[in-house]
Amino acid sequence: MKNTTRTDWGRRQPPVSSSNFELYAWFFMRVSGLFLVLLAAGHMFIMHVFNDTLNLDYEFVAARWDTPYWRTFDWLLLALSILHGTNGLRIVMHDNISNKLYRQIALYGLYFISSAFFVLGTYVLIAFVREV
Amino acid sequence: MQNQNIVSTGGVYKGRTGMWLYLFHRITGVALFGYLLLHIISTALILAGPEIYEGAEAIYKNFYFRLGEVGLMAAVLAHAINGLRIITVDLWSKGSDYQKSLNIVALLIFIGIFVPTTYQMITSYFDICIEKSSAGTTIVDCMVRPLPDWKSK
Repeated sequence: MKNTTRTDWGRRQPPVSSSNFELYAWFFMRVSGLFLVLLAAGHMFIMHVFNDTLNLDYEFVAARWDTPYWRTFDWLLLALSILHGTNGLRIVMHDNISNKLYRQIALYGLYFISSAFFVLGTYVLIAFVREV
Repeated sequence: MQNQNIVSTGGVYKGRTGMWLYLFHRITGVALFGYLLLHIISTALILAGPEIYEGAEAIYKNFYFRLGEVGLMAAVLAHAINGLRIITVDLWSKGSDYQKSLNIVALLIFIGIFVPTTYQMITSYFDICIEKSSAGTTIVDCMVRPLPDWKSK
């Protein structure tokens, strides 16, 4: 048994903040999660059940992106999944990296990578013009 | 403030199903985020033209990747359905009263969607493989070869 005077259960106490950011982040996870159930599960069923990825080729993607609706669908899926995933990983890192320096490095790395992939995905969805 | 007098014994919180679901949700979430990044890269290759894009896609068309796709489907469905369960417990006033029942309901919904989906994904793989491959190709051939021998479409 550890001889300690700590009065909590050994958990890291979250800093008391005057902003409501964490409340909004909590709420965002629920709302974006609901949309992602439709968008991500819909995407999975379209690609893996109603079609087969064996038939996936350049023409299949080009035909989808001929319509602005599928580009919008894919961009919403991209944006919400990156935001939902980044916030999820931010919380996982806060919970599991106790060293403050390492935590900061991991968090800034996460934000950098997420931003870069969001820009890349958005660029592909806007810039794609079919070649054939 | 009775609880303030409790001194930590260094013990570990031993939750039951809820704790495992919490851990499961985090593991599938981190895995799906990693897959998302790979998926964005492989899709971005489409800007390089049909040859490069389809050359990269061909790597994903062997049977081992099909098993990976079934695992991906499992992770997406499990994370989605467990997420809906979390939303229900959080936002429904009686959610925590029925949390044990909700665990069972979530599991049943997962099985009800995942089993037919897996059946479709596996049978469709062999149907298309045998249809598109040269005559005499068997299911075992479709399973073991690293790359399919058909041109896509």
